[in-house]
Amino acid sequence: MGLLVFILMLVVPAVFAVVIHSYLRHGDMSGRRKMVFFVVYAVLINLICFTVSWIRGVKGFDYTNMTLSYKLKYLGLGCVLGFIVPFVVCLATEDVITLGGFKRYIARFIGDLRKYLPYAMWSAKADLGAEVASSFLNWMWWLIEPVCMMLIYTFIFGFVFKAKEDYFPIFVFTGITMWGFFSRTINGSVNTVRVGKGIITKIYMPKYILLLSKMFVNTFKMMISFGVIVIMMAVYRVPVSLNLLWVIPILMILFLFTFGVGSIMMHYGVYVNDLGYITGIVLQMLMYLSGVFYSVSNRIPEPFGDILERFNPVACIMSSLRSALLYRSTPMLGLLAVWTLLSVILIALGVFTIYSNENSYVKVI
Amino acid sequence: MAVEYAVEVNNVSISYRILNNISLRSSLFHKRTRDEVFEAVKDVSFSIEPGGILGIIGKNGSGKSTLLKSIAGVFSPNSGTIDLHGHSVSLMALGVGFNGELSGRKNIVLSGLLLGFSEREIEERMDDIIEFAEIGDFIDKPVRTYSSGMHSKLAFSITAMLETDIMLVDEVLSVGDERFRKKSLEKMKSLIQDKDRTVIIVSHDMKTLEELCDTVCWMHDGEIREIGEPGPVLEHYAEFMSAG
Repeated sequence: MGLLVFILMLVVPAVFAVVIHSYLRHGDMSGRRKMVFFVVYAVLINLICFTVSWIRGVKGFDYTNMTLSYKLKYLGLGCVLGFIVPFVVCLATEDVITLGGFKRYIARFIGDLRKYLPYAMWSAKADLGAEVASSFLNWMWWLIEPVCMMLIYTFIFGFVFKAKEDYFPIFVFTGITMWGFFSRTINGSVNTVRVGKGIITKIYMPKYILLLSKMFVNTFKMMISFGVIVIMMAVYRVPVSLNLLWVIPILMILFLFTFGVGSIMMHYGVYVNDLGYITGIVLQMLMYLSGVFYSVSNRIPEPFGDILERFNPVACIMSSLRSALLYRSTPMLGLLAVWTLLSVILIALGVFTIYSNENSYVKVI
Repeated sequence: MAVEYAVEVNNVSISYRILNNISLRSSLFHKRTRDEVFEAVKDVSFSIEPGGILGIIGKNGSGKSTLLKSIAGVFSPNSGTIDLHGHSVSLMALGVGFNGELSGRKNIVLSGLLLGFSEREIEERMDDIIEFAEIGDFIDKPVRTYSSGMHSKLAFSITAMLETDIMLVDEVLSVGDERFRKKSLEKMKSLIQDKDRTVIIVSHDMKTLEELCDTVCWMHDGEIREIGEPGPVLEHYAEFMSAG
């Protein structure tokens, strides 16, 4: 068991890196080249990880005495590096991939955003309107649904399982709200292109605009829930401090991260028909690992809780928001910065993929 | 003196990859199976001056609509270039996709925004569009409740009233009932005869093409068989078709 984790922590990050590397090259990498880069990445990433742990005080690298906590942290750091390092290596080694190319992509992305944002906004507004018009209690549902969820979870986890968190209803409600935003977007992203078929076979638009418009709808719903949270905080007389202001950047990070993951899922959703089932299962698992209705770091035994909270982005964002909102403490800023960087990379990957493949979407669906 | 063209199509080839089913296994281990490639358009070049009207004719599956779609930017060609010199373009095709849950009015705004108009410009033309579409009170009902006739009438009105520099027409001249058809043909003619508007029409109707176009292009199996004056090209095409 220990040996398995040990091997995993050395190998998995490199696998990650090679996958991304071949991704950046549109997948045309020969098997031999892949092997070479696998070795390069394995050495490089493990070297960095080892240096980090050296600096933090672990001088030796003796696998029999290694704690599980150390191995998991090492693995987590490796995976994060596996995301970042390929970009640097690609820039240095692949002549197809240049800084100028990245710049062009960014310029195109910003130009397209400016051009199509009005459409995305308007479309979101119209969708919200249509949703309201066709139901009996219309916009009340946006309130009723999360509030009922909160009551259910408060009852189950507050009374039956005796959760000890302060202000537990608000604690659960923030969790549900943020999780709802994330899972709705990811679930929807898989068939976004299929749903938008009518429009995209008729006129060009960058396909992630469809996703953005969906996200605006979900953001609006999330904001309504946050309105409820403010009222609840007033009712419960939650003491607030200036740390409350961190809520805004944290929500932005959530938005960026969701957009990044969503755009990648959207791309694969076009080609892989049964992706919807897979995301359903993965999201379910992630929900329980993210501490929607419990505090990850308090309830999961050491050292796993702590590690999970750091390396699971949703859990990290959620607990940071709670600490800013409810417990008057500054969130873990360094960690958030890392996740922001990773979100931006995810977006870059997603948008890059969509740009280079979107012409064939129309032919596939 | 170099002529400024409105549309320039240079050596354009477009192919469809006939995708084999993707299984998780093959994508993980990257056993690249050769995808079959079907070339719909092969090395096509032509150019149209501003105000020109080009008709494209050819039997089914000869790549006409594919070419039109890639000029509209729905997908880009695999090789070659299409240069519109910054003109705005709209594709008029039968059976446009609207968002079924939204009212006709909202769909008009959305289509307009996608065509690059501002909200204000759309508001200005809203009444014209609604009047031309002749669908009465249905304009405020969700599009999913429309009959197919109303659907295409609204689609036609939107593209006809929101005038773009380049119009791509895909067999759209037979929309709705007899009366609307006549009216839309009239509208088409007046749109087409506008000096600054460049038009590409894809149709099987030789009469319309002869009447409207000043150049006709005959496509066969993704290649241009003949391009030039409507009279002779259409004649050759008719001969070819009757010869089977």
